[in-house]
Amino acid sequence: MQAPPQSMEMPDMSNAIVAQDEMGRPFIIVKDQGSKERSHGIDAIKSHILAARQVSTILKTSLGPRGLDKILISPDGEINITNDGATILSQMELSNEIAKLLVELSKSQDNEIGDGTTGVVVLTGALLDQSLELIEKGIHPIKIANGFENACKIAVENLDKIADEVVIHEDLKDNLLPSSDLFKAAKTSLGSKIVSKSHDKFAKMAVECVLNVADLSRKDVDFELIKVEGKLGGSIDDSKLINGITIDKDFSHPQMPKSFEDLKIAILTCPFEPPKPKTKHKLEISTIEEFKNLQDYEQNKFTEMIAKVKESGANLVICQWGFDDEANHLLLSNDLPAVRWVGGSDLERIAMATNGRIVPRFEDLTPEKLGHAEKIREVVMGTTRERMLVIEGCENTKTVTCLIRGSNKMIVDESIRSLHDSLCVVRNLIKDNRIIYGGGAAEISCSLKISEEADKQKGIDQYAFRAFSQALDVIPMSLAENSGLDPIETLTTLKSQQVNEKNSNIGVDCLGNHQNDMKKLFVIETLIGKRQQLLLATQLTRMVLKINDVIISGKDQY
Amino acid sequence: MSFRGQTPTIVVLKEGTDTSQGRGQIISNINACVAIQDTLRATLGPFGSDILIVNNNKTTISNDGATILKLLDVVHPAAKILVDISRSQDSEVGDGTTSVALLAGEFLKESKQFIEEGMSPTIITKGFRKACELSCEKIKELQVELHNEDPVEFRELLRKCAKTAMSSKIIHKNSDFFTELVVDSVLTLDQDDLNEQLIGIKKVPGGSMTDTKFIKGVAFKKTFSYAGFEQQPKNFKNPKILNLNVELELKAEKDNAEVRIDKINDYQEIVDAEWKLILQKLQAIVDTGANIVLSKLPIGDLATQFFADRGIFCAGRVPQDDMNRVILAVGGSIQTTCSDITEHDLGTCEVFEEVQIGGERYNLFEGCPKTKTVSLILRGGADQVIEEVERSLHDAIMVVKRSIKNRFVVAGGGAIEMELSKILRTYSRTIPGKQQLIISAFAKALEIIPRQLCENAGLDGTELLNKLRSLHSKGEVWYGLDFEKESISNNFEKFIWEPSLVKINALQSATEAAILVLNVDETITNKANEEQPNAAAAAMAGRGRGIPR
Repeated sequence: MQAPPQSMEMPDMSNAIVAQDEMGRPFIIVKDQGSKERSHGIDAIKSHILAARQVSTILKTSLGPRGLDKILISPDGEINITNDGATILSQMELSNEIAKLLVELSKSQDNEIGDGTTGVVVLTGALLDQSLELIEKGIHPIKIANGFENACKIAVENLDKIADEVVIHEDLKDNLLPSSDLFKAAKTSLGSKIVSKSHDKFAKMAVECVLNVADLSRKDVDFELIKVEGKLGGSIDDSKLINGITIDKDFSHPQMPKSFEDLKIAILTCPFEPPKPKTKHKLEISTIEEFKNLQDYEQNKFTEMIAKVKESGANLVICQWGFDDEANHLLLSNDLPAVRWVGGSDLERIAMATNGRIVPRFEDLTPEKLGHAEKIREVVMGTTRERMLVIEGCENTKTVTCLIRGSNKMIVDESIRSLHDSLCVVRNLIKDNRIIYGGGAAEISCSLKISEEADKQKGIDQYAFRAFSQALDVIPMSLAENSGLDPIETLTTLKSQQVNEKNSNIGVDCLGNHQNDMKKLFVIETLIGKRQQLLLATQLTRMVLKINDVIISGKDQY
Repeated sequence: MSFRGQTPTIVVLKEGTDTSQGRGQIISNINACVAIQDTLRATLGPFGSDILIVNNNKTTISNDGATILKLLDVVHPAAKILVDISRSQDSEVGDGTTSVALLAGEFLKESKQFIEEGMSPTIITKGFRKACELSCEKIKELQVELHNEDPVEFRELLRKCAKTAMSSKIIHKNSDFFTELVVDSVLTLDQDDLNEQLIGIKKVPGGSMTDTKFIKGVAFKKTFSYAGFEQQPKNFKNPKILNLNVELELKAEKDNAEVRIDKINDYQEIVDAEWKLILQKLQAIVDTGANIVLSKLPIGDLATQFFADRGIFCAGRVPQDDMNRVILAVGGSIQTTCSDITEHDLGTCEVFEEVQIGGERYNLFEGCPKTKTVSLILRGGADQVIEEVERSLHDAIMVVKRSIKNRFVVAGGGAIEMELSKILRTYSRTIPGKQQLIISAFAKALEIIPRQLCENAGLDGTELLNKLRSLHSKGEVWYGLDFEKESISNNFEKFIWEPSLVKINALQSATEAAILVLNVDETITNKANEEQPNAAAAAMAGRGRGIPR
């Protein structure tokens, strides 16, 4: 996009590779001028809008319960199938600067809310699309952005007004019933995903997970306490929730018992070997006797260590480091099952769950520092030799692990992402139990509200308001389109229904339930999620509209 | 003339040296500066647009003059002067970085015609100096002092100034929210010193801009932690805080030392000795009664678990500037040993907490007794958004700071420029000679600010400027552009205020820069060093060129 040459006597940097002075001598103003790409003015804005539109068109077909998936192939040939907006964008390797902004946008929606990552990009694309028309009418881009911002304020107010509250039962068990609101909400968020086959199972899993770790008084959920582990094999239906911790390791010796109860766990960060000084050292052995001494010393050390562990009363050793065969043998003969090479974060999680303490050396091992749990068992997956250890009935139950199974890696990965989305939805509801109805109902309601307000505005805001309301319509329209309905007919019917019945819960019936009232279908979205979508989309639109000059340094030549 | 009219070429300089001189040189320098000015002009004012610059795969979107010029990678010697004045304006007053480059460019543009007509640059510079002097005097005469007797009212006045500084930035629409933040931050600082470095700005992507948090105290990101960290308590009331510059890890005491062991039994002793060293340190720390231990150097897993067992929170590898701010806030001092720490060396605050902000965890120290420092945690939809918010806040913070120190303001929106322009025009008519032309050229150049503001907003510059001129000649000092009405109004009453220092500094540096460019009539560029024939060295040379100054 080269700006048209301007008829100025001044050297114009946009087309001047080298400017010339009066003497006809070329001079350079900016370093590497020749390799810099430059575009500015309305052309720049238009090309940005086109780039954004392309990105949002890619994502549009993934919106809603009938949205389709995309295959993404990474540079090393790894295949990924997903319909999660943030994942698609982050793997697309875009080179356009504006497209990159959209990627960050969906990423930040993902970080903050975890759901609605596709919607936010589609909405931004629609807003930019609408502003293109206004720019062509000759309206100043920043004035459009200002108008959008005012419209967004009204939309957010409207959301607050139409928001509903869901009930979170005091008794946690009640929330797990299929009739509870949390359960239904989790189910909605899974609607568009691959796991919809075992819908109820995943929804239940999500609710149970979050409620197990949630701190209801502080309305806070620490995701660190939820571990989602994927294992290949089996079907999605075999996925399950484990109330405890899984470690992707097996016992250090194959003859150790595979499961036993009433655990007292010694959590060690020192290896089972004679301690070495950290300072550089050298031991010279000159006689056979000394060599024997050394051997004895090592032997003694091993028995001493085992004795110390035994003394403390531990019956399971979890060690951050390895131990050699000698120690392994001794552990077995002393009836001390052990796990080696457990990573730091797993170690920490075990310590937290079992109320144990991490012990840095054998001398510090005391009965009080042991962790307690009811049961450990080794789980074998199918016929493969993949094993993992499960520690259950921990004293401090606030950790859960979701074990996801699936017939291939792509399904497992996608299921994990889907579960993450619904975990986020449940968490958001615990944080703020206000909801709005999905299926485009909220967008239609805001769109109606804004177009009503539009007539009250004076000046350019009137145009911006109308554009904003049209951009909001894109969401229900895409939903309808993806579900195989006639978008325009659906939208107009829904709009008139909302106005006539004064019911803001009317949305697109994506799944063919012959019911447009989303409240009855219980298709919900969180209020904070939707609000965030509107705010982020408006903010980014402003940023893109404000840019009218682009300078891209040339690719480095080396 | 023994050479029959022909002068032989006398080679004085090394071959390959580029020389340019004379009037042509001045004009080409002016052209270069004007080209830079052209790049910047679209970013001025509330309707100024942004520039997207991609440099080394890093995208920056900004409308801050200094930032853009820095990233443009200007090599032309004369054009570099513009970059430098904009940067000095940034460090001196923090705002008006675009205006200063615009003004300098415009002064040069006006003087170009005189140079072309053959006027000596010295005459022009003399006129510019005089005009600048007059303008600064006039600003000092016109400026209005802010009253700081009533703190509530003073606060309100400061907010007005901050708001004007923000008007052209991305945060314009949320300026009510941000002015509050900025004014609060600056007022919390030590009023005698006002070191803006003590306002810690942290960035967390995600969330909306208005989720930005203001913390009266210190906030820093969770540092790298070892296993056992999660078992430490994360919440304290009135904790004692110990700041260290000690590495707490089990390690070799001296890197190059070597121990020779003769007897097997010595082996264990050395191991024990090493353990004793670290445990002694840790015990000494626990004995001080501190609840929170911070260190600039790493705190290893052993220490982390040791502290976890004793209900102490620790964080290692705390960045230097965060550490400094913690000390300023909580008191105490950095300890370089673990022994002999007295009560006096420990700091304290009301509440310490680790909280989740977006996807990251932050350590917050609030309610500090010596709070002379604050932290802002910025949020926004994309990294570029947050960075631009940070730059905008920096400008606003600087403006508020200047307004507190030097409590004089003038009206913005082109009002003060129009008034100065009028005064200079009137003055120029009273003096004879070439100076008359030059001073009126200076006056004309000043109008670039309101004219560019109009152009960026898509308003009819000529019409509005004529209206302004006529009002100013009637003595309406504070009339300027009003973008809400798309017309003109009294900007002093509209509270579009800028610190007068910003204007004075901008005028002075722009004039200085213009004079500097006009006085240069020869450039001698030495040829760059010969590139090495082998490919690797050539690549290195290429790389060298790519690195900004």
